[in-house]
Amino acid sequence: MPKPKISTDWMAGCAGCHMSVLDIDERIIQVAELADIRSSPITDLKEPDVSGVDVGILEGGINNTANEEQAHRMRKRCKILVSLGDCAVFGGVPAMRNFFTIEETLRRAYIETESTDSSGQIPNDPELCVPTKVRAVHEVVPVDVFVPGCPPDPDVIFYVLAELAQGRIPEIKGDKLQWQ
Amino acid sequence: MVSLTIDGKKIEVPLGTSVLQAARMSDIFIPTLCEHPRLSLYSGCRLCFVEIDGFRTLQPSCTMPVAPNMVIRTDNDRIRAARKFILTMIFSERNHFCPFCVVSGGDCELQNEAYKLDMTHWPLAPNWKKYPVDATQKYYVMDHNRCILCRRCVRACAEMSGNFTLAFEERGANSLLIADIGVPLGDSSCVSCGSCVQVCPTGAIIDRVSAYRGRETQLERHKTLCIGCSVGCGVDVLTRDNHLVRIESNWDAPVNRGVLCKLGRFIPLEEDRQRLVTPMVRKNGSLQVATWDEALDLVASKLKPLIGKKDKGIAALVSTRLPAETLYLFKKIFADGAQSDLVTSIEEGQPTALPANLAEEMQKPFEGSLDVIHQADCVVLIGTNLVDNHEVAGFFVKRSLPNGVKLVVIDPNDNPMDNLADLVLKPAKGNDIELLQGISATILKQGHAKGKSALNSEKCIEAARKVGISVDKLVEAGNLIGSALKPVFIYGKGVTTQNSSSVLKALLELAEITGALTKDYSAVIGTKGEANSMAAVQYKLDKPFILNGHQAVCLTLGDHNTSPRLLERLTKVPFLVVQASYASQITAQADVILPVETWSEQEGHYVNLDGRLQKAIKSLRAPEDVLSNETVLKSLASRLGLKVDNKWKEQLLERIPTVAIVES
Repeated sequence: MPKPKISTDWMAGCAGCHMSVLDIDERIIQVAELADIRSSPITDLKEPDVSGVDVGILEGGINNTANEEQAHRMRKRCKILVSLGDCAVFGGVPAMRNFFTIEETLRRAYIETESTDSSGQIPNDPELCVPTKVRAVHEVVPVDVFVPGCPPDPDVIFYVLAELAQGRIPEIKGDKLQWQ
Repeated sequence: MVSLTIDGKKIEVPLGTSVLQAARMSDIFIPTLCEHPRLSLYSGCRLCFVEIDGFRTLQPSCTMPVAPNMVIRTDNDRIRAARKFILTMIFSERNHFCPFCVVSGGDCELQNEAYKLDMTHWPLAPNWKKYPVDATQKYYVMDHNRCILCRRCVRACAEMSGNFTLAFEERGANSLLIADIGVPLGDSSCVSCGSCVQVCPTGAIIDRVSAYRGRETQLERHKTLCIGCSVGCGVDVLTRDNHLVRIESNWDAPVNRGVLCKLGRFIPLEEDRQRLVTPMVRKNGSLQVATWDEALDLVASKLKPLIGKKDKGIAALVSTRLPAETLYLFKKIFADGAQSDLVTSIEEGQPTALPANLAEEMQKPFEGSLDVIHQADCVVLIGTNLVDNHEVAGFFVKRSLPNGVKLVVIDPNDNPMDNLADLVLKPAKGNDIELLQGISATILKQGHAKGKSALNSEKCIEAARKVGISVDKLVEAGNLIGSALKPVFIYGKGVTTQNSSSVLKALLELAEITGALTKDYSAVIGTKGEANSMAAVQYKLDKPFILNGHQAVCLTLGDHNTSPRLLERLTKVPFLVVQASYASQITAQADVILPVETWSEQEGHYVNLDGRLQKAIKSLRAPEDVLSNETVLKSLASRLGLKVDNKWKEQLLERIPTVAIVES
């Protein structure tokens, strides 16, 4: 039986969840023995195989049309999709932007911002992605496993990876369930 | 008794019990959010749903009365699905950001319920409507994004402190908790009792000082007494690593049963005076650090020659915030041992000496318990302000008013409870006796009297009329108070600082006539003053503090916040010893400073205003070189060659108290 393939990606997140993945420390070797870690934002290959992977892990919420593409791509190419961290599960800190209109936030970021001195300009190149309302991953694509936490505990992440690597769906409850 | 089956268990409970209460009696857990054991029921969250045979839909157990042969199930897939759905709705209503919330991680009842149901995400996304944050209140912050509309705070504000500041406006998604008619909390009628902070199940209302300083499981909880005033409320002092984090009320304390005022809850955490951490002695005009031996030896050497001198001898003053053990030692040393002619307390007997003398004259106590307020149908306040002082007693009165309890306020000055009263009487200075006797006489005339009296009705009414008190007012008062079945009289400094006990006697006469004072029952309450006013007066520490050439003055102040008036009296004192916890203008003038424990570092007994003898315990460790008041006094006594003993408890009953002293 070939080893199960795992791909990860990040969107509107701070990368803290991936740092927490790395915090499983030497246990990553055990995971690598059981599974084939195909791609991630912190390894050489960045996109999941076109031929598909078994497990897709997404960190971060969906913040713009580029994130939407990433989410759809991961959903299409994986069998089991995992939302990793509060941003992916709930929208998280970036979701606070939802209290303002997109125009207000772009103006604040590019024109009113204190760190630029000349009159700013909101970028409007047609090649750029368009900001959208910040959403949790499951508001855009169906998600199979939710791992909340900000970031999730490395022990919980190891449990999730170990279960998935052995072909089981992890159960996040009891000590493993925490939203902060 | 009603027989029913709950989760397969057959039980019997009294008629009128709710299904929720019946479950709790059988150790069966049913989750709740809007319910609180000490508040009236709201039944809004529906989390307490149970399945009952014969009912098509799930029922809220908090408001479902038990019925014979009911068959109830509290936990199955249908119920869990319903609970999950309720929580889903609640999470989608507002903006529940857990990552940075103060109570997240164990202290949030909403989050805990979600965890119990293994909720890993929100099935329904919030609509991201922005809700306000009100940070205008001095002691707490209200974040409406975290509110679950349970109304516990509204009920607490009404039922615990009787303040009725909080309410809800609008409907649906626009429902909003408001203060008064919708003003910022800092501008509202909020009295900072903190009941709302304590009952809020989420992080919607959070205490400022303790925010992020530790979750419940990281804090130590010490059940002790508030030393703010003579009501003697029970408090839970929460500490972490020997730091004071938060004070909560003790729900089971017999005096206050969960309610507390800002003096007990918030003000102790505002302490910003400089702490005294080492003994100091004045050398060559300035205060220098000294050892305990040096300091105490110097004090002993100055006091010893003055022992027994009645003229130009020692004067001693003690704080009534200190425990009975300390007050007793103080009296034993300075009054009995050194035989000083001026040994008294910082209150100088103002709230307590006059009634104490009357109790001695009458040879029996005449006051009752605070509990009578909870059963009253008419409360008469005379010469007492229960909004600025003894707030919790005021809460007892205010929260009973919606039940139809009548309030009469007798005060020559503006009284903050005037606007709540059914009748306000403002006798001119010196006319209190005429007023009280006038009311008594009217009640006798009206035929309401429940007790006997030797008063001549016509003479009293005429005397009242002569000083400008109208018959109409007397009749109104007579009707209100005379027709009451359970009247309560609460008096304070307005009565105790009079020149004679005649006003108090006239009050007791009125109490007798209205049935509030009989051989075995009293509904007369004297508010006294500080935490141990009662103990101080029992030890006869109740004289005015008037210095007259005294050569040495010893102040045992503890952590008392001293007034400029005291400072004024201490100029030109040849030798001043101050035993205190904090630096002040008084310690700056001292010749010897002896650093002592504060209220939270000491332990000892207190007698509250209705005679309850309670024990306060230590919550914190004092700094290394700081000693307890008792230790300091004992060391001083031994250096002076004076004998002391531990008879503080027996000596409390050396004189007849105004209210029977009972150990709690």
